[in-house]
Amino acid sequence: MEQHNRFWRIALLSLPLAVFGLFVVWPLFSSFYYSFTNWNGFDPDYSFVGFDNFAKIATDRLFLQAAINTTIWMVAAIVLPTALGLMLALLLDSRVTGARVFKSIFYLPICLSAVIVGQIWTWIYQPDWGLLNTIIAQVSGEKFKYAWLAKPDSALWSVIVAWSWQQTGLSMVIYLAGLTAIPGDLLEVCEIEGASPWQRFRRVVLPLLAPSTVVVIALSVINSLKGFDILYIMTGGGPFNSSDTLAMHMYNESFKKYLMGYGSAISVVLFLIALAIIGLYFRQLRKVDRIYG
Amino acid sequence: MADTLPATRFNPWSATIFTVLCVLAVLFLLPTVGVLLSSIKTTREISMGELWSLPASLYLGNFAEVLGSPAVHQYFLNTLLVTVPATAVSITLGALAGYVFAKLPFRGSNALFLVIVAGMFFPPQVILVPLFRLFNGMGLIDTLWPVIIVHSALGIPICVLMMRNFFATVPNALREAAIMEGASEWQVLTRVVLPLSLPALAVLATLQFTWIWNDFLWPLIFTQSDDKRTIMIGIVNLKGQYSVAWGVQGALSLAASLPTLLVFLFFQRFFIKGMTMGAVKG
Repeated sequence: MEQHNRFWRIALLSLPLAVFGLFVVWPLFSSFYYSFTNWNGFDPDYSFVGFDNFAKIATDRLFLQAAINTTIWMVAAIVLPTALGLMLALLLDSRVTGARVFKSIFYLPICLSAVIVGQIWTWIYQPDWGLLNTIIAQVSGEKFKYAWLAKPDSALWSVIVAWSWQQTGLSMVIYLAGLTAIPGDLLEVCEIEGASPWQRFRRVVLPLLAPSTVVVIALSVINSLKGFDILYIMTGGGPFNSSDTLAMHMYNESFKKYLMGYGSAISVVLFLIALAIIGLYFRQLRKVDRIYG
Repeated sequence: MADTLPATRFNPWSATIFTVLCVLAVLFLLPTVGVLLSSIKTTREISMGELWSLPASLYLGNFAEVLGSPAVHQYFLNTLLVTVPATAVSITLGALAGYVFAKLPFRGSNALFLVIVAGMFFPPQVILVPLFRLFNGMGLIDTLWPVIIVHSALGIPICVLMMRNFFATVPNALREAAIMEGASEWQVLTRVVLPLSLPALAVLATLQFTWIWNDFLWPLIFTQSDDKRTIMIGIVNLKGQYSVAWGVQGALSLAASLPTLLVFLFFQRFFIKGMTMGAVKG
């Protein structure tokens, strides 16, 4: 029997593992290797440059800018879609009329491509006839022509808002799943015991939603690290790199400037950041499991 | 039916919630409505600042232009040629590995499973350069092959996760009985377990189809000539060509979103299930 099992394990696992190994795991390790070279993307030859690429990261002003922007994006990602998603989930959980329709409306953006979302929001921010300026002009009664995406002060935040619009539905869905797991009896007891709605939320619902919160925050942070497509469409990292993120910076150095060695070094840093976050995530998940599981 | 409830009295609390939700829903829908409106307006109307008002007349010229363009036909064909095989291959590979993790565990199989699942959390930039070099060496740059292959490989983590979790709910007794009857492990998988796993397959098919259809990064890296581009790149290309033809852009965006919107509308249940079961792409 054991021999039978071993044969089938190998037979069934070899193909998926081969594909995964060749096109995901091996490239990952190769990134480490190329980060010590000066490969330019088309010459077959390259030479080893030791830690030069990493030394360059330490002095690269654009890298620093991208790192700061990525941090801003992550913090915003923890706050915006999480808070909004939680609010929507709580509103919808009260068995309001038309909850199903509302739910569909709020998570519809998830199934849109980042390209489309970027395009839609570019129009909202369009200086001449964009929705945002039109509304501001109507409210203030004066002409308003601010170019949201072309100004270093507002470009990054404008993209973050668009991205949050898409991400909120995901948080909402996860919170809704968490809410259905809270027993109704518990909430009834709270009511009988005279707890105010706020106390009920703060002391009972929110703590019981801790596992959902861990998942929502982790997904938001991880997805913010991947923030590339929507940025590429809306600002391209500009103006003057004011909305660059690490993912965007890596792409520009590798595929615009053809500094693939340097780009690999950036991707190694990106990998280490992601690894740290994922490690933290798995640890938190286990902790939550221990307390609530 | 409301007849089991006492006569509903006016509840100010739920009326407030309903109003708040309505306002939020309108805010959430506005961006999407903007695309709809742009697609049926002329560029002149839009540049006069009339994008966000209700249309006075229905202008179909944008759709005619988009649907009549051979380049757009090619974009759609390419996207289909990538999405369908990559969806099928990633689910197949996920089912194979998921079966072993669920029904034939071995020492270290849980660790291996976790390593594979962790793969879906990393930004794709981490493997961009080596993959480019690999496919460049194979002479496959500017074909659809690298896009298909990479999507098949990157879909493995989510597919393995879902298939393993679903297979774990299929009773072991079923497998043992079939093996007693002389069925091979392959027959158990294809004849017994998979037919029971249609819900999981549906979840994965909707998710994978949507993600691969919507993807932008991989075709951007691996293809160059216009007749190899997918629809999402096509939209960006078109933006360069018709820089102020907003109506045409709107019509193309709508056409490009239609397949995923339809999948979403018809398979919403599966879509949400997939999203909540630990889907993290996006």
